Amino acid sequence: MSGTAERTAPSGSVAETGPGFRLYVLVWAGLMCIVVVEVLLTYAGLTAPALLLALLSLAFIEAALALLYFMHLRYERPILFWSLIPALVFVLVLFDHLWPDAFRLTSMRLPVSTSTTPRGGTP
Amino acid sequence: MSHAELTLGEVGVAGEARPYGFRTKKLVMWLFIIADAATFGAILFAYGYVRVGSADWSRPFTFVPTIRNGIVMTFVLLTSSLTMLRAVRAAMAGRVGMAVRWLGATILLGAAFAGLHLREWFAMIAEGWSLTRNPLGGSPLFGAAFFGITGLHLLHVIAGVVAISVVTILFRRGRLDASYIETTGLYWHFVDLVWMFVFPLVYLMNVR
Repeated sequence: MSGTAERTAPSGSVAETGPGFRLYVLVWAGLMCIVVVEVLLTYAGLTAPALLLALLSLAFIEAALALLYFMHLRYERPILFWSLIPALVFVLVLFDHLWPDAFRLTSMRLPVSTSTTPRGGTP
Repeated sequence: MSHAELTLGEVGVAGEARPYGFRTKKLVMWLFIIADAATFGAILFAYGYVRVGSADWSRPFTFVPTIRNGIVMTFVLLTSSLTMLRAVRAAMAGRVGMAVRWLGATILLGAAFAGLHLREWFAMIAEGWSLTRNPLGGSPLFGAAFFGITGLHLLHVIAGVVAISVVTILFRRGRLDASYIETTGLYWHFVDLVWMFVFPLVYLMNVR
């Protein structure tokens, strides 16, 4: 393969027919702004659950922007989205079954101030 | 559309219609990305599990140097996605020289990200952090979680830099066409996407 024409991708590729580069730059700037907001929120004195909720929400917005524009999912056929994303979401939802066990561990901790003597042992 | 274009784009070798409208290798990359996303999902869920289950979880990070370094790393990685998009666009237009230059910029930015990451790792290791040691006296699982998650991501970055380098050389020599640049670009954007979860969950949630 040697000629320029042979090196180009098949006609109609979304990378070729997708959005203009100005939109990519806007998305990039938006992603950087979200990162700055994340850092500001970190030092805003939120409680840990509130901060986690805020950071996760912003991370999902960032991921959606990257998927839709940088990875061109918005410009592909809808069947690609419906073949892939619901399956991934299903897997991530299934992972959530571990949380009750994780929180159960918090109620199983021994008080920190108890004696260091092993149970049944001599001091 | 010529017969050759139909063969490459909309229909497969046997003549059947391509349901996704693109070459098989791009679909394979998407399938890999989904599987890898589940892998990163699993490791981040495991991190959440040990964090919730550990009474003495350490929060060692301060703005300087860790968070400041993380912001710079994020900027570098996001910018490398932009240069990758430039490279794909140039390759699709048949502008080989320009595509190679933008791919080179992507490789440099990826290598800079890896360098910044390794510098941070070495500083932490010098402070006494390891997979099993916590110099602050808290849960030793912090080191295992931190080095495990960021190490898996760093491995993806280094693999991406190597893959882009190989594809760039072969594209320049005319042995690969532009669709390979596009497929490699998908992988690189995915590495960027994963960092969007690693930075807030592993760094910002562990600020002192």
